[in-house]
Amino acid sequence: MSLEILLIIAFGGALLTYLVGKVSYKGRNFLAVAVSLALVAFVACLYGKAGEETFYYGFLGLNLALRLNMLSWFFAITIATVGALSIIFSLSYIRGREKTDFYFLIMLLVNAAMLGIVLAGDLVSFYIFWEIMSWSAFLLISYNKGPALAAGMKYIIMSIIGSVCFLVGMLSLYASFDTLNISQIASAITSASSGYILFILTVFGITFGIKNAVMPFHTWLPDAHSEAPAPFSAVLSGILIKMGTYGFLLLLYVIVGLKLFLNLGSGLLSFHSMLCFLGAVTIIIPTFIAMLQTDAKRLLAWSTIGQAGYIILGIAFGTNLALAGGIFHFFNHSLFKALLFLAIGAVEFRTQTRDLDSLGGLAKKMPVVFICTIVGIFALIGVPLTSGFVSKWLIYKTLILEGSPFLAFFALAGTWGTILYCYKLIHNVFLGQLPEKYKDIQKSPLSMQLPMVVLSLAILLFGILPGIPLKVINSIGTSFGFESLNVTLWGISSETGTLNTINIFSAVLVAGIIVWMLFRLGAKSVSVAQDDSYAAGAHAPVDKYHYTAEFYNPLHRMIKPFLRDIVDEFYYWIASCIQRLAGIIRHIYSGDVGYYVMYIILFLALLIFFQLKWKPW
Amino acid sequence: MVTKVIQIILSPVLALVVGVFFLGLARKIMARIHWRYGPPLIQPVIDMIKLFYQKSVSHGSMFDLGLILSLAGSIVVVLFLPFGKMCPLSDSGGLLVILYIMLLAPLGIALSGGQGANPNISIGISRKLILSLGYEVPLLLVLLAVMTRYKTISIMEVVSAQQSTGWSLISFPLFLSGISYFLILPAILGIRPFDVSSSPQEISSGPMVEYGGKYLALATIEHAFVLFISIALFVNLFLGGAANPVIFFVKMLVVFVLDLCINAVFPRFRIEQAIKYLWKWPTLLAFLGLIISLAIRS
Repeated sequence: MSLEILLIIAFGGALLTYLVGKVSYKGRNFLAVAVSLALVAFVACLYGKAGEETFYYGFLGLNLALRLNMLSWFFAITIATVGALSIIFSLSYIRGREKTDFYFLIMLLVNAAMLGIVLAGDLVSFYIFWEIMSWSAFLLISYNKGPALAAGMKYIIMSIIGSVCFLVGMLSLYASFDTLNISQIASAITSASSGYILFILTVFGITFGIKNAVMPFHTWLPDAHSEAPAPFSAVLSGILIKMGTYGFLLLLYVIVGLKLFLNLGSGLLSFHSMLCFLGAVTIIIPTFIAMLQTDAKRLLAWSTIGQAGYIILGIAFGTNLALAGGIFHFFNHSLFKALLFLAIGAVEFRTQTRDLDSLGGLAKKMPVVFICTIVGIFALIGVPLTSGFVSKWLIYKTLILEGSPFLAFFALAGTWGTILYCYKLIHNVFLGQLPEKYKDIQKSPLSMQLPMVVLSLAILLFGILPGIPLKVINSIGTSFGFESLNVTLWGISSETGTLNTINIFSAVLVAGIIVWMLFRLGAKSVSVAQDDSYAAGAHAPVDKYHYTAEFYNPLHRMIKPFLRDIVDEFYYWIASCIQRLAGIIRHIYSGDVGYYVMYIILFLALLIFFQLKWKPW
Repeated sequence: MVTKVIQIILSPVLALVVGVFFLGLARKIMARIHWRYGPPLIQPVIDMIKLFYQKSVSHGSMFDLGLILSLAGSIVVVLFLPFGKMCPLSDSGGLLVILYIMLLAPLGIALSGGQGANPNISIGISRKLILSLGYEVPLLLVLLAVMTRYKTISIMEVVSAQQSTGWSLISFPLFLSGISYFLILPAILGIRPFDVSSSPQEISSGPMVEYGGKYLALATIEHAFVLFISIALFVNLFLGGAANPVIFFVKMLVVFVLDLCINAVFPRFRIEQAIKYLWKWPTLLAFLGLIISLAIRS
């Protein structure tokens, strides 16, 4: 019962916000925040509860059900939190723009639909919520008009392909098992042949792969993420693509089940190792492409694809540590990528640009945003004491110990690439020289700073005490049939290697304090202006210098030829072929009635000819 | 407990002494190879004390904090590295944690330098990060080969396994990885032919250019730690570690002097040449080492 109320609040709140917005914009803002925060509180109260309930009987002879367990709860709380924070961020970001009521309606609708997805207990309701999410996301991606329209179109076309695959899979499941309830399918599928399971895995894998931007289905993401409004980019990257992750978890571990999944096929040709390989490729290539970007949001978008690779790798590898790492990384990625998109949004809000080649030196102008971005990129890199480290550590460790060092190599090398693009991001936006035109720039408004600070604190908290989320993740793992992990508050202990974040934390803290004291002991330093710098007798340029632009130029020259997005070009080729074909077909409709009469007569003549010749009727 | 606390205090101090000694030794040996007399061995210490009392300039809080972060990170790495039998934090995460905390040093310097707003710094950091991407590829393959071969991610276990089976450097197939590590060691240390990021004549020591006074002193200490860490990692992984600190120190000294000889005679690579070199021979050797380790394991 409570799940229905949750969804009613979510959807009803979205509509109500829209209606209130017609009357007063203050009331609308208040209501939007209130609804999203109420959802967070509601979901938080559901912790530890489990159950399934039917909320609609007899939809085409099927019962629609909602279902709550640890997995859906963990996703739901992430969705609600990131959603609420982006709504708060939107308050000042979206002020003064067109159609703000519509914006808030769709933001809340996307959140509601995602909650619906993770709470759905059967595939029909899953599909309904999935479509609501896809279409409302399309509306928001195109919100900015201009290039955003094309980006939205690309997204929705790929999304529809995914939905069609989902429909095919769903119908086939219904034909085979006569039910679409997830738990009933899960118990019925054990008797299916392995060929059929492979078919199911492939069709649903395409759906979820497109949403999760697994290579080669990633091409919609860079455009969509960079063109959407910043708070929605945070939602897109933080949680919307994670619906693909949820789908994969549901597919691999709930529907098909651990044993069936791992035993499908053999050796390198099994579905399991193919998916791991795809994950590894998805880590490495986008990471290198991200280094070459000059648009801050596009850089983060490519980084999202790369990080999604870690999640897929963790989930597909199929050990308890890897699964814990994968799910934990999903959670971390939601936090830090939302944080980074919001930070870039805050910068864009003040400077009206996100071009890495023209920004710079904003650290002193926007200190809070800067510090939050530092926390965000540290988590993205996986520096110890941020939560990103723990999840990556789990994945690496299991990859190494289970004898897959090459997968581990891809994952680790991806991390080094991550350092390069992260540093480029922070250097080109916040460090280096402050251009003259940004001299009088103001701090970000409080409603922008607040969500970023909350996210940063969460990242640090779960980095130092990873046991809090790991406990939940561990119970998800055990519900999938994995062996339980030995989780402590500050890490994981086992015979093959222990992680103790509290030791690392105290060591870094003490070392930092000692160095800081040493630093204080020395003669006092004088603060100088940025142009007061040493250039070995040469003239140091006062304004933006060349080397910040094209930051990795030597590397750029070397790797650029290898990093063409062939997949995207291929899709565009298909699209242009279809367009040409359609162009040819279009000529039939000339608009001249005489032609149409001729078509009709020709068609009738053809029918008569058939009848005379073969007598089929 | 008490021994642990003593170890925690002692190991960074020892590392610092060894690192600073290496700095002095480097100048002396380089001078002799160049047919000069060279400064006294304790010259770096004298310089540092002098620098602490000198005036310096700061470009902002990140300029200070980045340097502190970098040095703190290096000190923490030392706590995870066995020095002889001494390894205070060996049970807190193993080699993977070392690999990750080692990031803090270059990242801190990069963040600090970034706020310096000097073209030389930006060029230097860009080169440093590209170079580290370059050597990290073979380095990761090397470390993965070691971890695969000994089936552990704990560096203590790698060391103790070598006590019974002999050095990794002379065992099959890890000698391939060992050679690869030695080939990339100059790049990790940032000495010639890989001193692209600090090249003094070209970009005025790159990231260091805005440092003066105590900043320069701390950066020198940081450099000493980096010397210690990179060489100690090699000794631990490939030269069997050591039963006591003295033998460990001797092993480190041999490796360092060999690297100094390379440093003394080679000219500097351009950054593209450096990457091409690093991604060719060392990577190939490390790759072979990993493949064979993996094949033997199963």
